[in-house]
Amino acid sequence: MLNGFKSPGRIALIGAESDIGRSIIAQLPKTNSPEVILIGRSGEYALDVTDKAAREKIVGKVFAAGDLDLAIIAVGLLGVDRAMSEADNLVAAMDVNYLATVHLLKLISDRMKSQAHGTILVISSFAQVRPRVDNFGYGSTKAGLDFYARGLASQLKGTGVIIKILRPGFVKSKMTTGLDTPPFTITSEECGRYGVLALKSKNLVTWAPSILKYVSLVFKLLPSSIFHKISQK
Amino acid sequence: MASIEEAQEALSFASDKRGLLPVGLHRSYGDSALNSGGALLDIAELNQITIDSDSATAIVGGGVRIAQLEKAALAHSFFPPVVPGTGHVTMGGAVAADIHGKSHHKTGSFSSCVRRIKLLLANGEIADYTRADTEFWTTVGGLGLTGIILEIEISLRRVSSNSVDVSERRVDNLEQMLELLKNSDNDYEHTVAWIDLSGDYRGRGVVSLANYGNRTLKSHSGDASKLSLPGLGGRNFITPITVKTFNEVWFRKPLKNGAVPLSKYMHPLDGINKWNRIYGEKGFLQYQFVIDVGREEIFERLFAGLRSLKASSFLGVLKKFGTASQAPMSFPRPGWTLTLDYSTSVPGLEKFLCEFDYDLAAAGGRIYLIKDSRLDSQLVPIMYPGFTQWREERRAMDPNYLWQSDQARRLQLC
Repeated sequence: MLNGFKSPGRIALIGAESDIGRSIIAQLPKTNSPEVILIGRSGEYALDVTDKAAREKIVGKVFAAGDLDLAIIAVGLLGVDRAMSEADNLVAAMDVNYLATVHLLKLISDRMKSQAHGTILVISSFAQVRPRVDNFGYGSTKAGLDFYARGLASQLKGTGVIIKILRPGFVKSKMTTGLDTPPFTITSEECGRYGVLALKSKNLVTWAPSILKYVSLVFKLLPSSIFHKISQK
Repeated sequence: MASIEEAQEALSFASDKRGLLPVGLHRSYGDSALNSGGALLDIAELNQITIDSDSATAIVGGGVRIAQLEKAALAHSFFPPVVPGTGHVTMGGAVAADIHGKSHHKTGSFSSCVRRIKLLLANGEIADYTRADTEFWTTVGGLGLTGIILEIEISLRRVSSNSVDVSERRVDNLEQMLELLKNSDNDYEHTVAWIDLSGDYRGRGVVSLANYGNRTLKSHSGDASKLSLPGLGGRNFITPITVKTFNEVWFRKPLKNGAVPLSKYMHPLDGINKWNRIYGEKGFLQYQFVIDVGREEIFERLFAGLRSLKASSFLGVLKKFGTASQAPMSFPRPGWTLTLDYSTSVPGLEKFLCEFDYDLAAAGGRIYLIKDSRLDSQLVPIMYPGFTQWREERRAMDPNYLWQSDQARRLQLC
């Protein structure tokens, strides 16, 4: 339950290995001492995120032990594993970024709806703004997730359940090691700070960094011929 | 819900997993009368009062307001021996919180005048429990988690008028205040102190002492003439400056001496309707704890912390408690009790109170759960040594967890 200061008493991070997820947890205000459940590849709350039955089981386990005030869903794949073919990379990214994440979002929001309170933070991406040649596969999975999360947020109005969407640009982390860094690149610590801001914000969507909100507008408005040139780098 | 039969029927409305919770006047400070995702059962219409002058008892419905009982009892020259600072408390709530008043050092808590309760149990049965029953003491201070308190039999106190003789004294610091309260226990039926917790936090204030009086005063009209605070646009008006100004005025105001109507003396908070609006939308919290006599150093630690946060309490109340009741979850026990209220928007307050809770527990103190909205659940069994026993008894009365509340979930009480 939230306390009288509206601080969460029980938090779950899905994607315990995620640099962004950990960074958000680390930067939450330390005003009380909430229970933090880390759901990752190993440990008490181990989860193979691509296994449907395992997802159902873990959500059941988390809620059986008490009300959950905040869930941060931070699982994601960039889909650039050189050991795998492009097609296999695409399937892996779709499995995790869209299928698993949307399923978790649905399962958790259903539980929160019956407890009549709770907040879910979803990590989307700037990549879903407009298809760029270098990452439209990944972008399409995040676009699907983002679309679903926005719809769910509207559906849940008045139920006590709140959805927040964080849309980071390029974040320097384990996931992006070795990749070129575009403009407006931030560290996972900085991204964590935006995650905390997203939770405090009244808006559904928070960009990380904030300027990406305006960059995204420009991206959307550019004529396709120009956008195509930019997106080729 | 207006009858016992309706209450029985209502049990079927309980949602599968989120249960049911009886509620009265929706005035709890914390989350003890909330049940997110579950059902609430309003008992306010169980408001019958029967007074038997020969045995000096009243049989009241669980939804009767204490102010309503006071009025009915006064008509027969009786008064409830224990009444809280507000008249807007139901009898069911008074038992479930085992409330206390200015008379605690003489009378003990509310349960001391309760002879019998009629309880609607989770299985739909209705049972009467007296002071000889375990279930009676599980329900007293049981935060509404043992059943619906349908009816209560209370011993009344005979009074010769509707007034109290009040004597107020100004004190300049905490030490003087504690001394005066300590020395007044024997001579006065009602003792309480208003403490100024702003400015230099030295604990100046006004000690109010009273006994039941003999002068019958003309009864003043009810709620209609009362000042009601208008909507203030949800803004918080409690700042160090407003509190300091208010406290300065309050400290300097002329002292009351002589006859005061009982209801006005007992319920100073009820003078202004909707006073909670001064705190704005973000809300406020009450922090009340009790600490043994001899452990007064805890006040220094508290005041120093509050001073550094510039946290000003609009209403500080200090009182010396008498004997504890035998209910495991009842709050009052011998010692000093201090009540403060704060806007939740004071930066750093949450963290400070979290830390202070641990100091308090280490010093053997405890906080009042009915007012709590933020305690760490680990501290409950430390502050309430009878908690584990109570939980077992509660489970025996409600094995399927029908009775639930947000507070019970937050503090893992069930």
